[in-house]
Amino acid sequence: MSAVLVVHGGAWAIPDEMAPASVDGVKAAARHGASVLKSGGSALDAVEAAVRALEDNPIFNAGHGATLNVDGEVELDAIIVDGRTLASGAVSCVTNIANPVSLARAVMEKTSHVMLTGKGANQFAESIGINTFPTDKLVTEYEKKEWEKHKKYIAGVMAHDTVGAVAVDCAGNVACATSTGGIRNKMVGRVGDSPVIGCGGYADNSSGAVSCTGHGESILKVTLARLVLSHVEQEKSVADASQLSLQYMSDRVQGAGGTIVVAPSGQWAATFTTERMAWAAAVDGELWFGINPEERLKEKLSQ
Amino acid sequence: MLPVVVVHGGAGHIPKERSDLSTSGVCSAVRSAYALLQGGGSSLDAVVEAVLLLENNPSFNAGCGSVLNMKGEVEMDALVMDGKTLSSGAVSAVRNVANPIQLARLVMDKTSHAFLTAEGASQFARSMGVPEVPQESLITEYSRMRWKKKLAPDANPVECQMGKMGTVGAVAVDTDGNVACATSTGGMLNKMEGRVGDTPCIGSGGYADNMSGAVSTTGHGEAIMKVTLARHILFHVEQGQSAEAASDLGLAHMKSRVGGLGGVVTVDPQGNWAARFSSRQMAWAAAQKDTLHYGLYTGEHFTQIIEDHRA
Repeated sequence: MSAVLVVHGGAWAIPDEMAPASVDGVKAAARHGASVLKSGGSALDAVEAAVRALEDNPIFNAGHGATLNVDGEVELDAIIVDGRTLASGAVSCVTNIANPVSLARAVMEKTSHVMLTGKGANQFAESIGINTFPTDKLVTEYEKKEWEKHKKYIAGVMAHDTVGAVAVDCAGNVACATSTGGIRNKMVGRVGDSPVIGCGGYADNSSGAVSCTGHGESILKVTLARLVLSHVEQEKSVADASQLSLQYMSDRVQGAGGTIVVAPSGQWAATFTTERMAWAAAVDGELWFGINPEERLKEKLSQ
Repeated sequence: MLPVVVVHGGAGHIPKERSDLSTSGVCSAVRSAYALLQGGGSSLDAVVEAVLLLENNPSFNAGCGSVLNMKGEVEMDALVMDGKTLSSGAVSAVRNVANPIQLARLVMDKTSHAFLTAEGASQFARSMGVPEVPQESLITEYSRMRWKKKLAPDANPVECQMGKMGTVGAVAVDTDGNVACATSTGGMLNKMEGRVGDTPCIGSGGYADNMSGAVSTTGHGEAIMKVTLARHILFHVEQGQSAEAASDLGLAHMKSRVGGLGGVVTVDPQGNWAARFSSRQMAWAAAQKDTLHYGLYTGEHFTQIIEDHRA
């Protein structure tokens, strides 16, 4: 049973000038997560490591580089799910911490709860020794400029997006993780799909693990992650399950997005209905990746 | 068969001395919601009305009567969903409002978002002219007493969680065949500050889709989230199971997979409905074809004719 890891850096109309860095970013994160699996780490460890790498990379809208809400502040959401036990941790609208995915994991492992929000989430972070950073340390020049330009949130205008990872380890356990800074100029306290279990992500050893990205409100309406796995439960391939679900989201609620999926068998898919989605998959010593529709490039995993 | 409305006042262990209050509370809420439906009102209006009444009723763990968090404060969650469009509105960890379900509906109707939390939710409430109420107005003697008991050094944590009246909720299908759900709660007694349970999480605390039906859930929040109980039940309905069978399958899955107990109210667009629970009790009531149905303990199913006051 070989381990598989897939990551995404967000489904949206990624501008040409950001494309190369986005592809480099997902490849690096996939390599990082794959090395965790290779040294015997669990799927849970691998998705956390991969998402941390994406959070630390300012090209993506999570942790460093997160987008600003209407008040010019950073509010972060994240989720992590262990497919073996369905244990889950999530944080919504936590401010000024560098790695929300790790805070989500701490909620899962150090509390009897599944989700913490706002001030309470920050207090918990402090209680376990996680540092907060001043806003300007987390915010890039690009985001500050974009926030100034679009002082008002306009529905349908896709800004930066979410990051995520799914994995199956050698023991056949699956896990998912998703992290985001939300939508540029969102209302203060707006929560999207990312930290909502079944929407931004879901993982269950009996079917697989999913991480989603795209228009958050649409993903919520169709509980996208859970929908993908319901098709897998009905014997569809992960690719068909993803396509059917994204098509449904488009038809029913006019929303676009992307999903990465992995099944306990090692079957995987990276699918999107937006213009682009930077993704990479580490499978059997190969690194697959792409950003444009239909693109599937390949290189050796170890370099 | 239409319209139908089913409400619950929480699954758990309701102490005998409070069970009458629970039963009369859910019956009263269902009667009001049913009258609204009979008058041509939408399922969305009906479920919001039912939940609003339960929030205002201090006997339930929602709005007034909410349990207290670790710090002795009230933080509330709510969700409303429209099965026709899949639109939804939710708030989590909101303070100082009398009716979180109303705020959730405003999120759905007046913003381009679906979910607001904490301070942001309060800011939005203020911008909508929703009155800010003092926390004291939401705290009852009973909820304060239970909080104090829980904090006592020799308190038995499991015992203290019993006797908690859970979440409140409602599902309905109107004469147009549109379904809707609404759920509201003060959460878990002595929860960490900022703890969010299943209630405001779409697919967990509730889900509504004209293609299959509507569900509102109650019980152990973390367990409900892990299995996305509401959505899970509707997947079974989509696969051809009846509302009752789907509900039982969902609750059984939650019990076997994650050891959690709870209850649900479910309705499909044809007007089939169910009120099922794996916990010891769940106060519930339903109205259909001028008949009021209600129960509290497993196996109970009482009926009463609803007098038509319209004539």
